[in-house]
Amino acid sequence: MKYVLLGAAMAAGVATMAPAQEITLGRFFGACEDAGTDTTTSDGEACIIQSIINAADAELDGISINTLPTDWGNYYDQVKAAYAGGTPPDVHVMHRHRVPEFAGLGALAEISGELEGAGIDASDWSPAALDAVSYNGGIYGVPMDFHANLWHVNMDLMEEAGLVMDGKPVLPTSPDELLAHAQQFKDATGQDYLAADFAQFPIGVRVVLALMWQQDANIFTDDGTATINNEAGQNAVTAITQLFDAGLANPQLNYADSQQAFLNGEAGILVNGTWVVDFYTAEAAKEEVGLDNYYVADFPTLFETGATWADSHMWAIPSSLEGEQRAAALKVLAFINDHNIDWARTGHMSVRTSVVESAEYQALPHRDEYTGTAAIARDTPPSARYGAIQDVLNRELQAIWLTDKPVETALADAEIEVQDLLDR
Amino acid sequence: MASRSRLSQAQAAWLLLTPFLATYALFLVYPFFRGVWISLHDWNLLAVAFNPDAKEFVGTRNYERVMWGKDITWSLFNAPILQTLGLVGLVLSVFLRRMNRLSRFNAIALGIVSVLLVFLPGFHPGEGGRWYDRRFWPTVGNTLVFVAFAVPGVTISALLLAAALNRETRAMGALRTLFFLSQVLSVTVVTLIWQIMFSPRQGLIANITETLGGTPINWLTDQQFAMAAIVIATVWWSLGIAMILFLAGLQDISKDIYEAAALDNARGWKAFWFITLPNLTRTISVVVILQIILHFQVFGQAHLMTQGGPNDSTQVLVRYIYQTGFRDSELGRASAMAVFLFLIMGSFSIIQFVIGREKG
Amino acid sequence: MNRSYYWLVLGISIPAFLWLVPTIWMVSLSFQPNEVLARTTSSTFFGLIPLPFTWDNYAALFTFGQTPWWFLNSIIVAVGMTLGVLFVSTTAGYVLARMEFPFKRTVMVICLIGLMVPEQAVFIPLYTMFAEFGWHNSYHALILPRMAVPIGVFLMMQFFKAIPKDIEEAARLDGVTWLKIFWYVMLPLARPAMMTLAILTFLYAWNDYLWPLVSAQQREYFTITLGLASIQSNFAQSEGLGRVMASGVIASLPVVILFLIFQRYVVQAMTAGGSKG
Repeated sequence: MKYVLLGAAMAAGVATMAPAQEITLGRFFGACEDAGTDTTTSDGEACIIQSIINAADAELDGISINTLPTDWGNYYDQVKAAYAGGTPPDVHVMHRHRVPEFAGLGALAEISGELEGAGIDASDWSPAALDAVSYNGGIYGVPMDFHANLWHVNMDLMEEAGLVMDGKPVLPTSPDELLAHAQQFKDATGQDYLAADFAQFPIGVRVVLALMWQQDANIFTDDGTATINNEAGQNAVTAITQLFDAGLANPQLNYADSQQAFLNGEAGILVNGTWVVDFYTAEAAKEEVGLDNYYVADFPTLFETGATWADSHMWAIPSSLEGEQRAAALKVLAFINDHNIDWARTGHMSVRTSVVESAEYQALPHRDEYTGTAAIARDTPPSARYGAIQDVLNRELQAIWLTDKPVETALADAEIEVQDLLDR
Repeated sequence: MASRSRLSQAQAAWLLLTPFLATYALFLVYPFFRGVWISLHDWNLLAVAFNPDAKEFVGTRNYERVMWGKDITWSLFNAPILQTLGLVGLVLSVFLRRMNRLSRFNAIALGIVSVLLVFLPGFHPGEGGRWYDRRFWPTVGNTLVFVAFAVPGVTISALLLAAALNRETRAMGALRTLFFLSQVLSVTVVTLIWQIMFSPRQGLIANITETLGGTPINWLTDQQFAMAAIVIATVWWSLGIAMILFLAGLQDISKDIYEAAALDNARGWKAFWFITLPNLTRTISVVVILQIILHFQVFGQAHLMTQGGPNDSTQVLVRYIYQTGFRDSELGRASAMAVFLFLIMGSFSIIQFVIGREKG
Repeated sequence: MNRSYYWLVLGISIPAFLWLVPTIWMVSLSFQPNEVLARTTSSTFFGLIPLPFTWDNYAALFTFGQTPWWFLNSIIVAVGMTLGVLFVSTTAGYVLARMEFPFKRTVMVICLIGLMVPEQAVFIPLYTMFAEFGWHNSYHALILPRMAVPIGVFLMMQFFKAIPKDIEEAARLDGVTWLKIFWYVMLPLARPAMMTLAILTFLYAWNDYLWPLVSAQQREYFTITLGLASIQSNFAQSEGLGRVMASGVIASLPVVILFLIFQRYVVQAMTAGGSKG
């Protein structure tokens, strides 16, 4: 009897000790330590993604996921360091704009032949999503979203300023109108018309890029010529600086401060991404938050063509991953792909046609208010030096609005430096 | 006893030296030469990791690309203030040496600094020319500005505190502890605290300013204040060790001198000025040079509080090296900058060594 | 103790209080609810008094947080590095101070040159070297590179030089071996200097940021310095200010306590070391 019990105990031990495949997972989005495993109720980017990861950890048999903590600022530096050190995470998130750099060096696994086996239906991805993860004809990841710059609107303030019609905000259609609205807004409410992070994180760069694209211009051409110091560039910059010069917006706010200003009801419009829609919706519902009547609008067209900055988050696995580890990593990708609707709750746009067409997706808060964004989403031409180019632009634009560097000098300097980067 | 095998003195010496020599050779000497070697290559972090042959020997091109430019010329009044200062210093060093008011070493030191001041800022791009890397020299400049404010800031406040707290009483001991306390915090805690302290919306400083009816300063995003903010956080953080070193120096000054001086009515400030300071010159120079070496390598504060901004005004050398290496993957260039950092640090170390020799 | 002394104490107490304010503020914020902090950080007396009060931030940290784990890593790395540096520095310092052997001058000169190489100037080659060894993401990767500190050797050498020779010579006449003299005679005498070196190394290890940043990418090997940096970014909205501050407090508390216990030795040790060095 004793032996039977012992044998049973040992058998049970063996069963539960089945070798779990440990998958390391790298991501940004911030930390959420108490996310739980319920993917349908979590709030905010960090907690939603972590709840999906936790659920995968719990539900996928024989796979345990170890989430690497990575902050935003050092994310790509650290991922690079990990790749170069030969210990990349088994699964990691990245932006589409980094694909040329990582896939170009052969760091990422080409997975087009393995998607179906892993239960990922690539034909459900929208064409733009497939394009986002493709490089030289191969597929290098599983897309998770499109995210873009939106105008987040405080409707109470806009109403006060007389800038609401039929329950929708009246947004400018030209730089002149932008200034006029901002002045009208200031006169009526005493507050700033527009806030955004112009001082640290490159939201300001993305605004200027959008305004350049709206004039059918770009910062560099596909063949690698920088085209920044031109009329389009100057128009785009002055459309923003006129607000600063007139004291209708504050260029010195960083990300947290500009967001706080908007939530406190001290700014009519906040330019920020899709990733905060659910967060602001939740905040607006709170009694004590200054923002009560929240609305989301597409980035308005101030010039000829509609355009707003956009990018994609996607999940990739390193090319060095093989065998069971690779199969397990693909299962994790499939799990994330299956929970695309949960991720869309953040406010991001879904990459899966079946999700976009679902009633659940369309019923998400404010979703119907920015349906135009998908059509106007843009980004710069692919480049392995995307990060450094953004940095140049961010510095020179900051020099314009924070230190009164003449627009033309700053744009000329930016053009030289971007050209240097493209030539390297 | 005799049966035990006995090591000779030399054998024992080498045995005891082995741990040091091994770590030293492996983790300092070898990496240093390897760094120089990397700096002579076009070396992409990721590309070389995937294919060891992806590097290309380029000689000194990385140095040229980082530090030089197209059509660089030299002129005397390119940076009038600095260069005039240098000329004045040069004249002073010769004059004071002649008058025997300066020791030979100090005269030479002042002379070298002055010559560099005249010489280095004189370089600038000529007509149609430009620096290949427009950020490098401004970054070096920012680092120097940081050092120029942080080092005197730390040294002077630490010296004053040490002089005031140099008494063996319970209250003084408690105050010493208190001022030393911030030194044990990690750099990320320090930046965490000060980032919020300086925030124009959530910060304590802004809250107080607003209560007093002022407009809060955007410390970290205003070019005029960002560097000041980092210096303030640094002084707050790193005053402790300097203070302790000064306290140590103060205890070497004999009490008799103060007692004698007190008879001549030299107390308080007078005593500090005429007795404490002259007797502390060696400690001061040691502290200053240690601080220069320490703060020249500033990274965390600038990286975490301002990310080098706004408009690159707090971009410092080590952060630029880190970015060039790990964001832009250009290990060759980054290593060339690291070699430059070594040259600067090395010259400070030599000065420190010579001071130690001369007076110690 | 005369009247001017009390004025002095009072006079220094004011800057001392100001010096403490940032720390008090951090502690106070860590005890306030995140919802309140999202709106204002100056609820009661500029936020320096934690009202409204909550334990939630700490409760959350200990339930879910990685902070305790990071903290443990920091302890392992700092203690490991301290022991390593002590070992390497006392042995070499003793040899260079007291023993005669061929090429002694050469070794001294090589060490001196090493003093001039700042760590930040060699982190890139060290990174590529450790990558080739496959050593990244390990404790030894965090500890080993920082053991090669000639400054420690010099500190110990200066100290050993100042110890009177007769103790050692008496022992040698009794036929005690060099290694035994080092271990049983010299090391106990060197305690104050070792304490100084230990404290400096410990603080240095505790604060090291750049090297862990490039070497450790896995949570298992994050130090508290690195971990805290990872939760400071703008995008960590979900965490809340109070939580972040609570992490900061937890990260600091043990070193502060350690320091308060040992501070008498620290200050004494440094004073002793400083006056000789």
